[in-house]
Amino acid sequence: MTSAPAIEARGITRVFQSRKGFFYQDVTRTEALRGVDLTVETGEIFGLLGPNGAGKTTLVKILTTLLLPTSGTARVLGLDVTKETEALRARIGLVLGGERGLYNRISARENLRYFADLYGVPYAEREKRVNEVLAWVGLTEAADRRTEEYSRGMKQKLHIARGILHRPEVLFLDEPTIGLDPKSARETRKLIRSLIGQGVTIFLTTHYMFEAEELCHRIGVLSRGRLAALDTVAGLRQLVGGDRTIEAEDYGFEDSELAAVKRLPGVSKVVSEEYGPVTRLTIRVRTGDLSVEEVGRSLIGHGGLAVRERRTSLEDVYLDLVEEETN
Amino acid sequence: MATVTTSTPDWSGRRSTLASIRLAVLTFLADPQWLIPSMIAPIVFGFVSYELFLGSPDLVVYVILGAGMMSMWGQTLYGSGWATGQDRNLGTLEPTLSAPTPYLFVVLGRILWNVVSGLIGIALVFVVVVAVSGTVPSIDNPLAFTVLFLFTMFTLAAVGTVFAAAYVYTRYAGFIQNVGEFAFYIGTGCMFPVIILPFWTNPIALFFPPSWALDALRYAAIPGYVGFSWGLGWDVVGGIGTTVAYLLIAGVVFRRVERHVLEVGNLQEY
Ligand SMILES: Nc1ncnc2c1ncn2[C@@H]1O[C@H](COP(=O)(O)OP(=O)(O)OP(=O)(O)O)[C@@H](O)[C@H]1O
Ligand SMILES: [Mg+2]
Repeated sequence: MTSAPAIEARGITRVFQSRKGFFYQDVTRTEALRGVDLTVETGEIFGLLGPNGAGKTTLVKILTTLLLPTSGTARVLGLDVTKETEALRARIGLVLGGERGLYNRISARENLRYFADLYGVPYAEREKRVNEVLAWVGLTEAADRRTEEYSRGMKQKLHIARGILHRPEVLFLDEPTIGLDPKSARETRKLIRSLIGQGVTIFLTTHYMFEAEELCHRIGVLSRGRLAALDTVAGLRQLVGGDRTIEAEDYGFEDSELAAVKRLPGVSKVVSEEYGPVTRLTIRVRTGDLSVEEVGRSLIGHGGLAVRERRTSLEDVYLDLVEEETN
Repeated sequence: MATVTTSTPDWSGRRSTLASIRLAVLTFLADPQWLIPSMIAPIVFGFVSYELFLGSPDLVVYVILGAGMMSMWGQTLYGSGWATGQDRNLGTLEPTLSAPTPYLFVVLGRILWNVVSGLIGIALVFVVVVAVSGTVPSIDNPLAFTVLFLFTMFTLAAVGTVFAAAYVYTRYAGFIQNVGEFAFYIGTGCMFPVIILPFWTNPIALFFPPSWALDALRYAAIPGYVGFSWGLGWDVVGGIGTTVAYLLIAGVVFRRVERHVLEVGNLQEY
């Protein structure tokens, strides 16, 4: 076996030029990616987070040979994504989220047979493999129904079934649980996790923090075409100033009180948000021994004050990172 | 250590072409909306060209070749491109292109299927014209006719391949094709012999392989036919030459177009 990383991207940029108008062409340039470096090891589940338009899908398409980078190089399984496309395509899988991407007049089984042929699933194994993946995603019963009759969740499962039909070594999933109800989303995550046991390397994009936290070994946060951070969940927590978050809630706080909280030892950041009549202070504490009581004491005089501590969530980290990047 | 069981992939152009034919047939059976172009259109073409050639001694053969070829032309050319447009609509163009097989083989399968279904159109025209005129046409040289007929279908498929590339290139290909289609019908001599058109259209027609093939076909079918002055033999040579050129163009264009769409990133547009 080679010890090359599963995915290796260096200085990837991508500029889109879109034209509007027929006679007077307005050319708009969008810098979707502005220098992305990243390495994903074999057997890893890597998660890519980022707000709408951050460039996640663009990066996935470049890594899966469906789009050329404007500059930079990327290798997947040691193969150049712009040059060794045929060899690479046979060894990777791609699942694009959403309703589209299936032949809707024919059955799920026929869809899978077709793509099995195109991807070169050994012919003798085709039927067995199709049945296997249908069973794996729980679509055996519905296998012979036209996919236009499928619900969103069923379509998504079929997308995943198609993605792994040819047993790819690296699987790319772009928002695999988008638009799914909580139960289907959980089932889908379970499927993704079970792939790891089989040694598949996974690169997934998502908008759901808990999904990334639950599934991924490492997470990259993409913001406006740049990686704002890339680390394990624990590492990311450290990055934004500590592992602890204290929340205080009441009907409004004075500016002087806010300033007093900010001065407490170990406090790295205080964010004030209003929820109707209630104001919530989110206090990020760099690991230290500042206690909930001490925070409470500096906000003395608030009758209905509620102070509690919670673990810094990935969402806190994410919002911080994205905020930093936009400022 | 984790294991990934990879068996050697077994993809080939031939397999993809067969898969594509199968998909086309299944789609056709699932939704027979194609009955309209493949049945109604030939019947209408049949009546129209019957009126056009009324009084000509070889009326029946003209009509069948004219209307039949128009129907074939529509099937191969329009159908082949249409399917790629459909891939854009459905969002299946991306998963198809992300497979290791070149897309050209998928298109080839569709064209072959369209050629076959176009034959149904010719058969229909034949039935209609024979019923309306009350005569069964006699073919001058049946063997040559059959061979040339197959050859004509092949030239149509070659042009269809080049057109399909346009559909991969841009979602606006349908518009371009609709505008161009009628000009093609006339320009290639599908409708009536190129030779009776104004002189200036002749050189243009010669750029299209089916013009040569159809002229040859008429030489074989109609006794005393006067087409291109160089006669049947050179028609065949010209037909083969232009077809080979088209296939080469298709090969190059497809590779370029596949590269181009990766550069522009418009695969998902519809
Ligand atoms: N084909 C295209 N032509 C022009 N601009 C494009 C094209 N594809 C993407 N873009 C632009 O590139 C930027 C990044 O888009 P991308 O789809 O990669 O974002 P994303 O992170 O996947 O967003 P989302 O979370 O909404 O899926 C956006 O500004 C988008 O408008
Ligand atoms: Mg996206």
